[in-house]
Amino acid sequence: MKPDGKVVLLGDMNVGKTSLLHRYMERRFQDTVSTVGGAFYLKQWGPHNISIWDTAGREQFHGLGSMYCRGAAAVILTYDVTNLQSMVELEDRFLALTDSASPDCLFIVAGNKVDLTDACAFLPESEDKQIEKPPNSFISTKVKKQVHVNDAIAFYRKILKYKMLDEVNAPAAEKMCFETSAKTGYNVDHLFETIFEMVVPVILQQKAEGLPQTVDLNNCKTAKNTHSGCCR
Amino acid sequence: MSVKAFKLVPAVEWEILMGDRPRINIECVECCGRNLYIGTSEGSICHFLLEEKNSPSEKTPFSISKQLHKYLSVRKAVGELKAASALNRLLVLCDNTITLMNMINLEPIPTGARIKGALMFTLNENPVNGDPFCVEVCIVSVKRRTIQIYLVYEDKVQIVKEFSTREQPCAVAVDGHYLCLALTTQYIILNYNTGASQDLFPYSSEERRPIVKRIGREEFLLAGPGGLGMFATVDGISQRAPVHWSENVIGAALCFPYVVALDEEFITVHSMLDQQQKQTLPFKDGHILQDFEGKVIVATTKGVYILVPLPLERQIQDLLASRRVEEALVLAKGAERNIPKEKFQTMYKRILQQAGFIQFGQLQFLEAKELFRSSQLDVRELISLYPLLLPTSSSFMRSHPPLHEYADLNQLTQGDQEKMIKCKQFLMSYLSEVRSTDVANGCKEDIDTALLKLYAESNHESLLDLLVSENSCLFADSAAWLEKHKKFFALGLLYHSNGQDAAALQLWVQIVNGDIQDSTRTDLYDYIVDFLTSCSDHELVWKYAEWILEQSEEVGVYIFTKRPLEDQEKNSFNPDDVIRCLKKYPVSLVKYLEHLVLEKRIKKEKYHTHLAVLYLNEVLRLKSLGMERQEKLTETQAKLRNLLKRSDLYRVHFIIDKVAGTDLHTECAILYGKLEEHDKALHILVHELKDFSAAEDYCLWNSESKGLPYRRKLFHMLLSAYLNSSTSNPELNMAAVDLLNNHAAEFDAAWVLQLIPASWSVQLVSSFLMGAMREGLHSQRMTEIALSLAKAENLIYKHEKVKLKESPVLLSDRKLCQVCQKPFCEPAFVRYPNDTVVHTHCAAKRLVNSNTNHHLSSSSGRT
Repeated sequence: MKPDGKVVLLGDMNVGKTSLLHRYMERRFQDTVSTVGGAFYLKQWGPHNISIWDTAGREQFHGLGSMYCRGAAAVILTYDVTNLQSMVELEDRFLALTDSASPDCLFIVAGNKVDLTDACAFLPESEDKQIEKPPNSFISTKVKKQVHVNDAIAFYRKILKYKMLDEVNAPAAEKMCFETSAKTGYNVDHLFETIFEMVVPVILQQKAEGLPQTVDLNNCKTAKNTHSGCCR
Repeated sequence: MSVKAFKLVPAVEWEILMGDRPRINIECVECCGRNLYIGTSEGSICHFLLEEKNSPSEKTPFSISKQLHKYLSVRKAVGELKAASALNRLLVLCDNTITLMNMINLEPIPTGARIKGALMFTLNENPVNGDPFCVEVCIVSVKRRTIQIYLVYEDKVQIVKEFSTREQPCAVAVDGHYLCLALTTQYIILNYNTGASQDLFPYSSEERRPIVKRIGREEFLLAGPGGLGMFATVDGISQRAPVHWSENVIGAALCFPYVVALDEEFITVHSMLDQQQKQTLPFKDGHILQDFEGKVIVATTKGVYILVPLPLERQIQDLLASRRVEEALVLAKGAERNIPKEKFQTMYKRILQQAGFIQFGQLQFLEAKELFRSSQLDVRELISLYPLLLPTSSSFMRSHPPLHEYADLNQLTQGDQEKMIKCKQFLMSYLSEVRSTDVANGCKEDIDTALLKLYAESNHESLLDLLVSENSCLFADSAAWLEKHKKFFALGLLYHSNGQDAAALQLWVQIVNGDIQDSTRTDLYDYIVDFLTSCSDHELVWKYAEWILEQSEEVGVYIFTKRPLEDQEKNSFNPDDVIRCLKKYPVSLVKYLEHLVLEKRIKKEKYHTHLAVLYLNEVLRLKSLGMERQEKLTETQAKLRNLLKRSDLYRVHFIIDKVAGTDLHTECAILYGKLEEHDKALHILVHELKDFSAAEDYCLWNSESKGLPYRRKLFHMLLSAYLNSSTSNPELNMAAVDLLNNHAAEFDAAWVLQLIPASWSVQLVSSFLMGAMREGLHSQRMTEIALSLAKAENLIYKHEKVKLKESPVLLSDRKLCQVCQKPFCEPAFVRYPNDTVVHTHCAAKRLVNSNTNHHLSSSSGRT
């Protein structure tokens, strides 16, 4: 089955790309091992099949990134909110990979692991995890958030600048920056579903462009008027 | 996680190849059809014939025979061999030169055509030029960073293109116009027609040997970083997730749906469908792995081996046997395009069914149901697992070979009752879902009977729904089962649906009588009554009528009174017969007569009289009982009065005789009213009962639909009764005043004024006088209006008449009748208002025909 559109998860190793995808597709959190190369899932979204590529974050596989990104309709740039370096890497290493994505590609910035930060200690953990850890130790494991939403929004603006896109035409930064937790499931469905909703028009447009080239007689006439040299 | 996808079979041992010359190595291998060629390190080529045997049971599925061993002119290693079977040529790369040889005798071709300066070469298996008499060859030239494309014919070669790359190419594969190249640091796709190139991904040729393998139309398999097998299309897109090889892969081959890879110690097999590693075969010192039209050949420096794929079905069966349903299905589905459609569908269906039973065996009912449903499983396969469920008469045989390993449910659940119940619940829900679908065609009886048995056994409420709705339950089997499980009510339903109403009733009556126990319905008696009410077998109704009535007179009578309309119209229940039958049951009898008289409005004197007498007797009986039954008495008395008032059919004299001598004065008054003896009636009402409002009511209902004069007459009589009493009674006077004031319009004022005593003041009757005046004025005015309207109408008609007479009607020979188009022969004619003139007889005919009549009136209306 040929997918209609492609969504690619990019980001430094250990930010939780595989976990995010796993949480969305399988509805649970699972400890994953470091991804080798890449993996993909097919998601039926309405009449469309969207392939979601999970890439390997390790430096070793960095070269493969641009091939995965080629023709992508959306790229999710993922970082770890507790790790400033993961955000820096996005800008330094991963942004350039998106050069091969389709020109109208959407960019989404997702900060994962919010469950680890003190700012969201109130978030409900999934039941099974709660049993494992007594509440007091669970609070003490909280760490300080290193990357805030504003940083993500600033990064998103940088992406637009890098792509030489006008901020007015591109989707608003606030809409495209998410904070998620693959562990608790916080905001994960919202992230993917928002993306799918936005990707569908892109897919439709790509399909329309992919149609056999037809001659538009109306346009043809105006063209003739301007370059009428051959007719004389 | 392993499947046995391939079997490693030695093909050419060192001994047959080289005998006793141990320093010679195998350098390259080519296989084309039955021909196997081996190139050696000392510049020789060996040709073998590979014969496949048809019986797969043998240890080696092919036999091999050596044909030729040919030495080339130079004693250097043979770098590459490629056969072009269409040209009958073998392309041999040795000492940087590609020479053409006869495929069979390995003789060089006479023209000596060759390509010089080639480091390596490859054939385009998907050429674009379409010329069948040449092959397209792509070489990596000895010139640095240069690629050349040649067309090779039977006896000549021709260069078509040469171009340079930005780095030295290390490996190449071709498909159409596309080259997939491994440069020193980068894999790229190059369109040699347009020159456009597309970077795929970087790698390091120093660390590892690149692999570039065409795996199908416009798709390549490449060795990527970290031991990845990367898929890439000519557009530079990866459409499949990579497979994970070891770091030191030497070669890769494709045998759908598997990717086979070779490293120093193992041959690994990955599925392209789910990227999982499926099989690992230990294999030391391998250095060549290639696939040739589906044959995978692997070689060490000293021997050649063939990886024989096991039949797909066998692999799938192995997976199923180890309960790896997901993988089996993926594998089967992946094989779809390699197998003829029909064969595939049969195979796939069967695999789905097997998978379904595996899921079923693990009590994964949701998955099992989906698999059964999508594979259109013959439901009897499933039913037959459950002991005793299939009807004894069923001709069903399980399919062979069997779809599963279970003898029956007892074996599957190993006697675990809880599991057994779950399995049964599943079957119930599954059967109830499929029984109305196509799957049930041809085995409806088996399904419905099994479902009935399951319902009965588990006390399921749907048992009754099943029996009441249209079903195909087999009678004998179902009846025995229901009896066994004491579902007697349900059994009755079964009898009924098989047309045995008598048996059904007998059973139900036994339940009500307590002879047999079944608590399915607590209201079974009512059910039987309903049943008999709509029962078309009237003998049966008569047979159980007595029993029914003995149980309850009130409800039992429904079997006569609530019969469906068509039954009533057929009059199969003669009221006289019914009444005779009901004699013993007075309550029923009253109900039945009420039904006849009040509901069906049968106009027969005897029913009306009978009912009246029954009411009357009841009233008298209740009266004699005194106060305790007051409520019942009031009710019955109301019914009696109502009947007496409303009905005109009963024998009034007969009833009067009965009422006379009792204290039923009101009834007496009503009866007198019926006889139009109003003075007697009013006398009773006014003087005996002194119920003035009743007297007024009497006047009103007795004059209903009899016109104003009659009503007036009654009111006058009442007024007279009040006033003409011998003793002047103030009470009666008050009643008279009230009557006059309240019903001013019902009196002839002039007559009243003469009658009322002169002593009454005007004020006393002022309301009456005002009403009478108003009524008089009103009627005068109404009359005047009517008179004027009539005059106006008369005038209109006169006007029309004058208009019609205005012009003469000329009748000549040439004038024809508008209807029959014939001339007039006699002076009489008919003229319509629109000047149409016709024969009198034609007009008469037209009047008969309503259609033309209508037409005529409309046309005349227009003029």
